[in-house]
Amino acid sequence: MEKIRIAKVVLPIVLLGILLVYPLVETSQYYQHIMVMTLMAAVMASSWNIIGGYAGYTSLGHAAFFGLGGYLVAWTHNEYGWHPFVSTWFLALVVAGVALAVGWIALRTQGSAFVVVTIAVIFIFRLLALNLSAITNGAQGLTQPRPGWGGVQWSPELMKVPFHYIMLLLLCLTIYSSWRIRQSKFGMGLIAIREDEGKAEAVGIDTMLYKVLAFGISAYFIGVAGGIYSYFFTYIDPGFVFDIFVSVTMVLIAILGGRGTLWGPVLGAFIMQPLANWVVSEFGGTQIHLTVFGGILLFVMLFMPQGILPALNEFLMRWNSKTRSASAN
Amino acid sequence: MLITENITKSFGGIKAVDACSIEVKQGSITGLIGPNGSGKTTLFNIITGFYQPDAGSIHFNQQPIQGLKPSRICHKGIGRTFQITRLFWKMTVLENLIVPVKQIGWRTLLSQGVKKHEEEHAMELLDWVGLSQYRDTEVRKLSFGQQKLIELIAVLMSDPELILLDEPAGGVNPVMIEKMMEMVEDLNRQGKTFLLVEHNMRLVMELCQHIIVLDHGQKIAEGIPSEVQQNPLVLEAYLGSTQNVNAGA
Repeated sequence: MEKIRIAKVVLPIVLLGILLVYPLVETSQYYQHIMVMTLMAAVMASSWNIIGGYAGYTSLGHAAFFGLGGYLVAWTHNEYGWHPFVSTWFLALVVAGVALAVGWIALRTQGSAFVVVTIAVIFIFRLLALNLSAITNGAQGLTQPRPGWGGVQWSPELMKVPFHYIMLLLLCLTIYSSWRIRQSKFGMGLIAIREDEGKAEAVGIDTMLYKVLAFGISAYFIGVAGGIYSYFFTYIDPGFVFDIFVSVTMVLIAILGGRGTLWGPVLGAFIMQPLANWVVSEFGGTQIHLTVFGGILLFVMLFMPQGILPALNEFLMRWNSKTRSASAN
Repeated sequence: MLITENITKSFGGIKAVDACSIEVKQGSITGLIGPNGSGKTTLFNIITGFYQPDAGSIHFNQQPIQGLKPSRICHKGIGRTFQITRLFWKMTVLENLIVPVKQIGWRTLLSQGVKKHEEEHAMELLDWVGLSQYRDTEVRKLSFGQQKLIELIAVLMSDPELILLDEPAGGVNPVMIEKMMEMVEDLNRQGKTFLLVEHNMRLVMELCQHIIVLDHGQKIAEGIPSEVQQNPLVLEAYLGSTQNVNAGA
């Protein structure tokens, strides 16, 4: 038990250390690119986990907040010259505000009805992005200037590095918030909602307030990620971001690693994102990585239905008690 | 303390509760009895905000509470248990006791999930019912009777003035029923008011100072246990005969 507790402190520090030096050691732009995408996937899955994992509400609509963050950043960058690395943090508050309103309506439904309502949210946002062409440039999407700071463009060799660090910062903030929520009365209430919403309400938990807040918070970090993403690619279009696949990816990553756990979504991202990139580079830009994705998920669902991290935890506990009873004998 | 006036609730064409007016006096143990389908649990659900009444009013400590959400009603000081035990099954016993919240505020939301004084209070209650050794056990692993006890003491964590018990003895063995009766009497002496729905007549007759009888959603009688036992309407609707009641006792 003691070893597990130490590992829970040491492993995150080691991981942070590796991620801090990664772009200095690994200079290949390809691998730097994969790492930025992995960090982003970890942010999105961890953030989704606040509503989807803790409260148990499987939202497939969070791509809408990713896209909204991306569009707001791209538009304000082009229109007012707001630098995305600064503006995305504030504009994501607008995203969270929109999510609060959406959540206030959508969270009146439960189970499969909730899933369907959240999918509808993506279609609404996609329609808006396609039709509000004065702001979004319609189907053609928005292009941003090449990344830089203070009028100086970053050189192509070093361009990924700032994105690595800002995404790492975002991941740290997301995990910290998720941890803080999990430790608080709020987090405890969310888990109670997941277990039995009616009972939670009966013991004094304002379930609607809790759910809507969790929905808004989970949209915030995804909105920030969307803003950074649109700058990273310097291009955003409706079909690319307001896509159910974006939502499905974060949900599957969270389920793979361990839905409702703090580190599960991070673990899931670090497995899935590099693997998906590797499959694409090996087998070309077909959709074959989706097949691999599905296969892995099937395996996890069959043998580790709670996800990898809870299964690992259970295994360690069992092993621990076995060795303890063996030594007692 | 609690007054309902002309509460009516229909589901489709069926009137589950029909112009029902009851009063629960402060410091009392009031029994709510009636045959199956007489509207007892529906009335419970209306009082605690799970159902909205079609008509009528509910006052708790002179304040109207109809239309409030269940969580707000809980904050006003009404706690409840359920007919079929409801707990947070995958949470530990201790967590089940810590989850209830007395009020909602930003400070409450962000505060530490398990506070020291809450843990101490929870442990006192667990000691009281003799289940403190299960504090870190998932509640689904306990026996049915133990789960019923946990549900009751979890209600106490938010320190309600009025506690609504929905069939506390349902499916519980006689030893545990004795224990539960003692607990209710103890708590009543400490000032808690109870309204309980129960089919176990011995428990109702021994425990309750006042009994209200429902049939087809309407109140057909009320009074002290001995009066209710003799009431012909009650005998006809529910108790069958006095002999049966005495035999049951």
